[in-house]
Amino acid sequence: MQDAQATLDRYYLEMRWRCLSLAADFDRVERLAGGAALLDSDPRIKKLRDAMTLLARPGANRAEHVQMIFSDKTPPPR
Amino acid sequence: MRYIDPHIHCVSRTTDDYLYMARCGVVAVSEPAFWAGYDRSTASSFGDYFRHLTDIEPKRAARYGIDHYCWLCINAKEAENVELSREVIKLIPPLLDHPRVLGVGEIGLNKNTRNEITVFEEQVDLAARYDQLILIHTPHLEDKHKGTSIITSILKNDKRIKPERVLIDHCEEHTIRIARDNGFWAGLTVYPVTKITPQRCSDILETFGTKMICVNSASDWGESGPINLTDTCLEFMSRGHTEAEATDIFYNNPCRFFRQSPKWKLKPVG
Repeated sequence: MQDAQATLDRYYLEMRWRCLSLAADFDRVERLAGGAALLDSDPRIKKLRDAMTLLARPGANRAEHVQMIFSDKTPPPR
Repeated sequence: MRYIDPHIHCVSRTTDDYLYMARCGVVAVSEPAFWAGYDRSTASSFGDYFRHLTDIEPKRAARYGIDHYCWLCINAKEAENVELSREVIKLIPPLLDHPRVLGVGEIGLNKNTRNEITVFEEQVDLAARYDQLILIHTPHLEDKHKGTSIITSILKNDKRIKPERVLIDHCEEHTIRIARDNGFWAGLTVYPVTKITPQRCSDILETFGTKMICVNSASDWGESGPINLTDTCLEFMSRGHTEAEATDIFYNNPCRFFRQSPKWKLKPVG
């Protein structure tokens, strides 16, 4: 298996690309009429912001924790 | 390298895909019954679909040296119609002895509704009464964790069900423990946007180990394709894993699960 430095070197441009894609997605919504308000109010955007906050923190299992941010946590039907 | 796509909906794919798979080393596939992209109006539509799965696709695949097996059920999405589902379920028992049918699947949940749960329980009962392998569909996106929990809870509460004869498919980072910790096989689906990438699939294999995991493309009528499985093999090996390790995941593991049916002929290698 590759070491950490080699792995980061290999994936860094893709990581940068995904980050820029998300930034551009936000810009696209924001520059349309009502976009800024929508970014402030839509619950899906709130989940994205929560996920990005999680990414900025140290710790393992980020993918699993991000999955749970986007998961329905209501009880099963009776 | 030879490998197997343990979950692909060939009825929705072109013959070119069979050619592509053959060129890349795919020697066998298994095709679960699924939603056609629209709700069918009668049980007889499913009767025709089951004939397509059992008789037509195996012949189409054989032209490219690919061994084709299938699974029968009413899928979770159309299971919302309980009355229709019960008519479809009645069609299944006479087909379970067909040499191309590996078991009941892909049954499961879609939106985690009461009706879906009712039909799921009835199909689990069908599989138990006829001693069939089970292939499970878990819900998409935000419904996945809750649905996977409901499904495994139902299966665990039925003492006739042996976990090692059940594959919980479409697992991701937050659900694979639910399947593995309860003794079930886990499926990883490499599919654009809504499921996992070749990179995340390889991460999961490295993190959780490769035992009792089958990787598939679940190629269907959506934007998908058998190339996703090929890309995952390449990604896995590009990280320094050997061809023998890849063969164990992408060929031997499906053989190990499917060989629990006497109809499956391929054996693990190495």
